[in-house]
Amino acid sequence: MPSHDLNDDPASLDPSDPFGVSRRTLLRVALVGAAVGAMPSALFAAEDVKPGGTLVIGADADPIGLDPTTVTAYSSFDFTALLYSGLLRWTPDMSIEPDLATSYETPDETTYVFKLREGVTFHNGQPFSAEDVKYTFDRILDPAVGSRLAAYYSGVQSVTVIDPLTVEFKLKAPDAAFLRYLATNPDGVIVPKGVDDLATNPVGTGPFKFESYEPNQQFTLTKFEDYYEEGLPILDKVVFRFFKDQSSLTSALRSKAIDMTWLKNPRVAALIARTSPDLVSAPGQTSRTFPVWLNLKAEPLNDVRVRQALSLATDRTAVLETVLGGAGKVGAMLPESQIGGYDGVSALPNYGHDVAAAKALLAEAGYPDGIDLGDYIVVAANELDVAASQILQQQWAEAGITVALKPMETAPLLDMWVKGTFPTLLSVALSWSPDPDAILQRMSSQSDFGANLGMDDAELDQMIAAARTTLDPDERAALHQKIQARIAENAYVLQIYQYPLRWEIWWDYVKGYEPLAANIRSYVRTTSVDK
Amino acid sequence: MRRMILVRLALTLPILFGVSIAAFVLMRALPGDFAVAAAGTTSVSPEALAAIRANLGLDQPVWVQYLAWLQGAMTGDLGTSFVTKRPVVGEILPRLAVTAELTLIAATMALLMGAVTGLASARLRGSVDWVVRLYNGFVLAVPNFVVATLIVLLAGLYFPQIRLFNYVPFFTDPLENLTSLILPAFSLSLAVSVTISENTRAAVLEVAGQDYVMVARAKGLGPGKVLRSYLIRNALTPVITITGLQVATLLGGSILIETIFAIPGMGQYLYDSITSRDYPAIQAIVLVTAIIVILVNVAVDIAYARADARVEL
Repeated sequence: MPSHDLNDDPASLDPSDPFGVSRRTLLRVALVGAAVGAMPSALFAAEDVKPGGTLVIGADADPIGLDPTTVTAYSSFDFTALLYSGLLRWTPDMSIEPDLATSYETPDETTYVFKLREGVTFHNGQPFSAEDVKYTFDRILDPAVGSRLAAYYSGVQSVTVIDPLTVEFKLKAPDAAFLRYLATNPDGVIVPKGVDDLATNPVGTGPFKFESYEPNQQFTLTKFEDYYEEGLPILDKVVFRFFKDQSSLTSALRSKAIDMTWLKNPRVAALIARTSPDLVSAPGQTSRTFPVWLNLKAEPLNDVRVRQALSLATDRTAVLETVLGGAGKVGAMLPESQIGGYDGVSALPNYGHDVAAAKALLAEAGYPDGIDLGDYIVVAANELDVAASQILQQQWAEAGITVALKPMETAPLLDMWVKGTFPTLLSVALSWSPDPDAILQRMSSQSDFGANLGMDDAELDQMIAAARTTLDPDERAALHQKIQARIAENAYVLQIYQYPLRWEIWWDYVKGYEPLAANIRSYVRTTSVDK
Repeated sequence: MRRMILVRLALTLPILFGVSIAAFVLMRALPGDFAVAAAGTTSVSPEALAAIRANLGLDQPVWVQYLAWLQGAMTGDLGTSFVTKRPVVGEILPRLAVTAELTLIAATMALLMGAVTGLASARLRGSVDWVVRLYNGFVLAVPNFVVATLIVLLAGLYFPQIRLFNYVPFFTDPLENLTSLILPAFSLSLAVSVTISENTRAAVLEVAGQDYVMVARAKGLGPGKVLRSYLIRNALTPVITITGLQVATLLGGSILIETIFAIPGMGQYLYDSITSRDYPAIQAIVLVTAIIVILVNVAVDIAYARADARVEL
C-alpha cells in the first residue's frame, strides 16, 4: 500500500505508482499490470480468507435509479460502486489506480490515450471494448439524456476509438479534474453499448451483478463469476437492508441483523462502538464541510463588514468540540482530503474568535446596537446541523447578532439553496466531490449556484478557473489555498467544521474491508465474512 | 338497509375525486420536487434537473398533469413510481396487505387491552379504577413513535438476541410473520387501547345506572348474566364506533411505526415517497387510504345497526 497522504493526487505520488509519473510520459504496460495483479494478492496474504458467504449491509436510503449516467442521488452510488467499474478507480488512501484501463499516455496536455484491459466482460456476457467507452461518454454528453455528468465532462471535445482496446479522449483545455472524475464511481463508469433500461436492470463490469430489489426492504447482489480480478470478489452475495430510522439501524447492527453500516452521528457511532469490543469503527478522512451559506444579494449581508463580523463572532473550535466531540477539524472551503484542502489549524482571515472586533465592525457598518439577521434555515433531519446551528446562534448573540433558527424539511430547503432564494442564512453540509473544482465552482459568479448566491468577484472567478487548468498538484494546491484565503477574507460563506461523511462501523468477523472517502463501498470486493 | 349501503358507497366516488385533487395539488404546492430531492447536495446543473422534470412530465401545467393522471386512474393505472420506475399499483398492493395485517393485529390488541381495562375499571372501581385511569393518562401522553423508538433502542442495547427487524412475509412463514409483527403492533395499539378503555369505562358506567339494569338486578339475575346480557351488549355500541374511527388513527400511526421497525408496509412507503417527492406513489397511497377509511366507516354503521336494534340504516 502506498503511504498515507491526505493531500495526495494521482500524479504526485511515489515514482513506483504507475500513474504517479509526470505527464507526457508513456506508461509501461507491464509495470501497471504487475501493480494491479499484486494488489488483491497482497490483501489475501494479510489474513486467512474464507471464500463465499453473504455480507449484509444496513443502508438508510433506497437507490434512485441504477443507470450511472442519469443517477443524481448519493443513495444510488453504493450500488453502482459494486455493479459497475470505470477506466480508473480510487484506492483507500485516495490515489488513483487503473481499473478497466491498464495504462494511459498523454501526448499533450489535452490528449489522453487509454489502453484497455483485455478479456473483460459485462454481466450479460458482452465483451468490454473501446466502443463501450465511446458510447458511455457520447451518451453523457448527449443533451437529450440530461446527465448531470455532462457538466463534469463539458471539457471533453471528442472520444475516439483507435482500436478495440485503445481509446482517445481529446479535451478542449487542460483539465486537472478529468482523471479524478474518471476514477469516481458512478461518474466515470462504463456502461455497455446497446443495453437499455439500466436504471432498473443494471449491467456493468463490476465485481457483483444485480439479483433482486424489493424497495424499502432489500437489494441483493451476487458474485460476478467472470469478474476480471483473479480471486475476487470473495463473497457470494451482498445484501443491503434498508432502515430509514437511525435508531433502527443501530439496533439492527447490535442484533447482527446487519454486519456493517454507517452512521451519521459520531457520538452515536462512538456509543455503539463502546457496547462491544468486537465492533470496528473506522471514520474515514474528513470529506465533508458544514458551512453557513449567506445571501449576498441583499442587505445586510451584501456588506462585507457584517459578514466579517459574523465570522469573527464565530468560535469554530467550540462548535466542533460540542457537536462532534472533537471527531473532526475546523473547516474551510475545501476539506482536508482534497488537493490543497484546509488542515484545520492554519491561520485564515477572520477565523480568530474576537467578539469585540465583531462589534466594532458592526458599528462601523451602521449597526452599533447589534443586528437581527432574521431566519437561519437548517436541515431539520440532520441532528448535527441542528446542534451546530444552536451553538452558532448563542455565539452570535454575544456579538449582538440575533437569528431565528428555522429547521426545515430537506426538499424545500435544497430548492431554496440551489436557487439562492433563502432570506439570509442557510446551512446544508457539502459532501465529498471527486474534484475540488466542483466545490470551488459554487463560489464562482460564473456558475449558476454562485450567481444565485450573489457572488460577484471577478478576481476570484479567475483564480478558480486557473486552478482547474493547473495540472501540477503542488501548484494547484497552492492556488487552492489562496482561493480559500480569499473566500475567508471576504467571508462569502462561513465554513465551520469538516468531518468524515460516514462513520462506518462493522463486526470484526467482516474482514478485508477498507472504508473510502469517496462516498462508496468499493472494497466490498475484497471483503470476506467469517462468522 | 341495503339501499342505504349502496347510497353510502356511491357517495364515496365524489369524496375520492375531491381527495385525489387535494392530494395532487397539495403535493405540488409543497416546495421542492423529485429532481431536487433526489439530487440532494450532488451538484446537478439546472439543465440536468430540467431534463429529469421533462422526462417525468413535471414541466407540464398542474391541471394537464392531473388530467393525465385521472385518465390513467380511471383504467386502474395509477402511474409509475419516480423512484423505482415500476407501476405504482404493483408496488402498493403487497404493502397494503402488510399494513392491513399490522392494523388488524394492532386493532385486536387495542380492543382486548382497552375492553378489559375499561370493564375492570368500571366494574371494580376503587383502586383498580385509579390505577387504570392513571395508566391511561400516562400512555395517552406518550406518542406511539416514542414507544417504538424506546423498544428498538432498549432491545438493541440490552437484548440484542431479540430479532426486531426480521420481517417475514406471511406466506413464507406465518408464525415467524406474526412474531415479527407483535412489537410493532403493540406500540401502535397502545394509544388506541386507551381511547377504547376510557370509552368502555364511560359506556359501562352509564349503562349500569340505567333503570333496566336495576330491574334486571331486582328480578334476581346473577351478576354474570347482568354483565353479559345487559351491560356489555348495551355498552358495545359506542365502543364499536370508537374502534372503527380509530382505524384511521392506526393507519396514520403505521407511517412512523413501519418506518422505525423497517416493515415494508404502506406507511413506510408513504413516508419514503413524501421525502423523495414521488408524486404517483403518494397519490396512490392517499387514494387507497381514503377508500379504506370510507369502507371502515360504512362497516361501522352496519355493525352499529347489528348491535343496537334501535338503529336503522
